[in-house]
Amino acid sequence: MTAQGPSYQRYVQNVVIAVAAAVLLFWTVFPFFWILLTSLKGPGDMLSVPPKFVFTPTFDNYTALVIGEQRGQYSSTRPDFPLFFLNSIIISVGAVALSIVAGIPAAYALARFSFPMKDGLAFVLMSFRFVPFIAFVIPLYLIYQRLGLYNTHAGLIFAYQLITLPFTIWMLRSFFQEIPLEIQEAAKIDGCSWFGVLTKVILPLSMPGISVTVILGFIFCWNAFNYPLMLAGRQTFPVTVGAIQFISYEQVLWGQMAAATIVAALPQLVLSLMVQKYIVRGLTMGAVK
Amino acid sequence: MNNAQKRRHWRQEKFLPYLLLAPALVLLAGMIYPFALGFYYSFTSYWLQYPNRFRFIWFDNYVNLVTEPLFLSSLEFTLGFTVAAVVIQVGLGLAIALFLHGRIPGRGAIRALMLLPLMMPPVITALMWKIMMASTTAGILNHMLSFIGVGPINWFGSTEGAVASILIIDTWGNLPFVALILLGGLQALPNEPYEAARVDGAGALAVLRYVTLPLLSPFIVLVVLFRTMDSLRIFDVIYATTLGGPNDATTNLHIMAYQYSFQWFQMGKGMAQAIVLLLLVVICSYLLMRLWNRASESTQ
Repeated sequence: MTAQGPSYQRYVQNVVIAVAAAVLLFWTVFPFFWILLTSLKGPGDMLSVPPKFVFTPTFDNYTALVIGEQRGQYSSTRPDFPLFFLNSIIISVGAVALSIVAGIPAAYALARFSFPMKDGLAFVLMSFRFVPFIAFVIPLYLIYQRLGLYNTHAGLIFAYQLITLPFTIWMLRSFFQEIPLEIQEAAKIDGCSWFGVLTKVILPLSMPGISVTVILGFIFCWNAFNYPLMLAGRQTFPVTVGAIQFISYEQVLWGQMAAATIVAALPQLVLSLMVQKYIVRGLTMGAVK
Repeated sequence: MNNAQKRRHWRQEKFLPYLLLAPALVLLAGMIYPFALGFYYSFTSYWLQYPNRFRFIWFDNYVNLVTEPLFLSSLEFTLGFTVAAVVIQVGLGLAIALFLHGRIPGRGAIRALMLLPLMMPPVITALMWKIMMASTTAGILNHMLSFIGVGPINWFGSTEGAVASILIIDTWGNLPFVALILLGGLQALPNEPYEAARVDGAGALAVLRYVTLPLLSPFIVLVVLFRTMDSLRIFDVIYATTLGGPNDATTNLHIMAYQYSFQWFQMGKGMAQAIVLLLLVVICSYLLMRLWNRASESTQ
């Protein structure tokens, strides 16, 4: 018996570890699995008691997203999900592009030069990460109504700068700081101006960092919900606001909402696996590497 | 270098940073201007439907807030939710990080999969759980809970159910954030203190208490900082699930400010509430930043 003690103990330990890993995996993955199942259910299977795991799958919910019609009990009045998807792409790409163009020189200045108020400026940028959006969206809403920017892509791209610009500058700064100073000094001695140092040394060397920043910035824009909720209209809704349109006072279109959820989440799932090594760094704006 | 060159060089070095920062500063000014305008509005009786009543009323909006029952209840929910969310998420996240730090089969896969909830749009996460939390037995969550003799829970219709559901949804989305940062911290810890503890014959719990946790404290404070800031201003999840109900049980300051400004269009009042929330966030972040500085100094 005593000889078997340690191996028995190890056996129990392994079982506990396996169970814990299974629970963690189940908690993480099951919601995705269930929503995928729900999105493939027809109206009859949707609300069956108990919930069905086995059923005849149908793509009606996805078709309904695209063409706005569905065979069966109810038909959708929301045929504009492709438009929402396109809006998400336009706004996110625009916001990230603007942030990168303005952010690269700013990050370079913060990474390589010392000037008065530098730390204060960096702190102000960081603090945008923590600001409650409502404090900006109320005045932005009033200004946009006056200027005609309400319900426009341009207005949303500008509002999204609150999300992407501070993030872009902090991330790029942390990547630029990783490039050894000696290389830059060497380039200067070779006769490069600051512009030459930036374009011929810094940018090529930090290309991976810039791509990570672009992808993460795109993800954050795609996730944004509250700015477009207040500043966009039906023509400019992104997918996040679009998905919530399936809830009305009369009913919730569960199947189509599930399908919309899957479609809205898909780019995130693909992109986040591409940049998985850098996600923690991105979410803390470079504070944790 | 001759004198003229030197002067040019000096001038360039002095003004160059500002030149480089100019585009970003223009955009930044475009953000600060609306905020300043909003701050001014918080001292006015700005009501969108009644433009004639626009007056500067000093601190009336702020004073009126204190006497408003909804404000007090939403302040209470804001703080209570934040404490609960941070305690639950940091506690469980630490456990998961310690678990994944060990030799676990399939650790890489679990880590990669945990990124997925983290990168989901919070509002989409909320909708996913809304589908699972359908209050009939057709909702999969109540169906699963029925096997262990719980429920059926009226998730969004009862006070406890609504609070619990928002906590669960927020935790599903943000637990990976805590776990992954703490796991990264654990993997970066130096080896020597552990060897010293082993030489001293310390047990596993003693090592955790006296070696791991103190060394990990800068990371713990960092995740507490981020999670506190985000929990204080949680909006998307509540909006997509309960909209502050039932009976304002899940109305936090952010939802309340939204309701005042975008349902009743009392922009002045809404903005005053937004400023109060902002102050709360600033105070908390200041305190936590100081704690962070102290924690990272003590471990270096």
